[in-house]
Amino acid sequence: MNCFLLRSLLPLLTFSIAWATSAQANELDAPKEALETTIHELLEVLHADENKLPYSAKRNEIIEILNRQFSFDVIIQRALGRNWSKLNEAQKKQVFNLVTDLVLQAYTNELQDGPKPTLSFSNPEVLSKSKIEIDSVVLLNGTKINLSYRLANIKDRGWQVYDVLVEGVSMVSNYRKQFDEHFQRKSAADLIELLKNKLKEA
Amino acid sequence: MNFLIRLLAVVGSLTGLLISSSSLLAEDFIDFDDLIDFDEMVDNDSGAPEAEIADPFEGINRVIFSFNDGAYKKVIQPFTRQYVRIVPIEGRKGIANFFDNLGYPVRLAGSVLQLKLGRATQETGKFLVNTTAGMAGFMDAAQDFDGLNPEQEDIGQALGSWGLKHGFYIVLPLAGPSSLRDFVGRIGEGAVDPISEPWSQVDDSQARVALQAVDTVNDLPEIIDIYSSITNSAIDPYIAVRDGYAQLRAVQVSK
Repeated sequence: MNCFLLRSLLPLLTFSIAWATSAQANELDAPKEALETTIHELLEVLHADENKLPYSAKRNEIIEILNRQFSFDVIIQRALGRNWSKLNEAQKKQVFNLVTDLVLQAYTNELQDGPKPTLSFSNPEVLSKSKIEIDSVVLLNGTKINLSYRLANIKDRGWQVYDVLVEGVSMVSNYRKQFDEHFQRKSAADLIELLKNKLKEA
Repeated sequence: MNFLIRLLAVVGSLTGLLISSSSLLAEDFIDFDDLIDFDEMVDNDSGAPEAEIADPFEGINRVIFSFNDGAYKKVIQPFTRQYVRIVPIEGRKGIANFFDNLGYPVRLAGSVLQLKLGRATQETGKFLVNTTAGMAGFMDAAQDFDGLNPEQEDIGQALGSWGLKHGFYIVLPLAGPSSLRDFVGRIGEGAVDPISEPWSQVDDSQARVALQAVDTVNDLPEIIDIYSSITNSAIDPYIAVRDGYAQLRAVQVSK
């Protein structure tokens, strides 16, 4: 009798385990799908016109799309690290806007000049309880580039990108090294001046 | 009957436990302030551990970097734009595959020196498939086989996996970033590379130079475009490239 009971409960147990495991997989499908949509929409905007409008003409549209899944405030504060506290409130706003424009402008020009890349996304990898990494392969001009997005489940925001890794190189960490070097010798005002000049040159 | 109740309780609690652990991710939010906490980010950011490189010759390196930067942007980039116009993408891919296939001895040496014999076998399989079915390497016939696309190894990575540190950062004229360790690795690679000296398989020196030139020129368009995006968006291009190199090599060594 007991053996019969055990046998009849076994499928229930198996089902419960399978259901719980798939629930976790589905849960991580949502940020992956959202990221894929965001990146595809971004590429649509970049390749929408044949005349290749400059970054300034597309800026608001690009930022609106990226804002859905990229927390630029987190990205920029992480990139500045301890140097962030050396800026006053007005400088923080200026640096935030200038760095965002500098990076987006450079990659907009690069991406829209070439053909539309093809993308493939891997399933998310769990980094910690509130962080995941989504790897992707970008095929651009016959060259494969490994691009990984790190996302955190931020309170009141949901899954948001806080770092992008190109071939394993963390962009946030790379910028932090540059800011550290800058602030060893120069000031926040110098940084703003430098960023403005770089934007004019580009 | 007691047994039945106990069994149901076990199944029930096990299911509950599994469900609660599965929803950990949905409920485990991180506060904004924790995400911008300095110690947290330093511990977790870098793509790989020990992505540091000493730079005692920064002064000289910066001079060579700025010479290279001028050469890349004023001479090489305009040249590669013409090259891309003349040689269609399929042709460039074929040339890239051909030289990639010839890089087999270097990757094999890198794998064997790290005792990664599985990877060495995969490299050999890839070389054989591409040399035969891939028409002397012009087509990457092996790319469709999962087991024939190993991570690429080189001798610098092997030295790194033996625990040898970079030594220090070097910017080579035109060739760009390297380190003492990776530069020594390159010299070792020269010995196993079929084209380059001292033990070249190509006897005619003009043909050898021409082959090396085609290999270099063919790789340039992609490298130069990535290089300009990095430097155009950098606060300090020299530091951006140095840290990028250190992180990239650390990731490659750790794989």
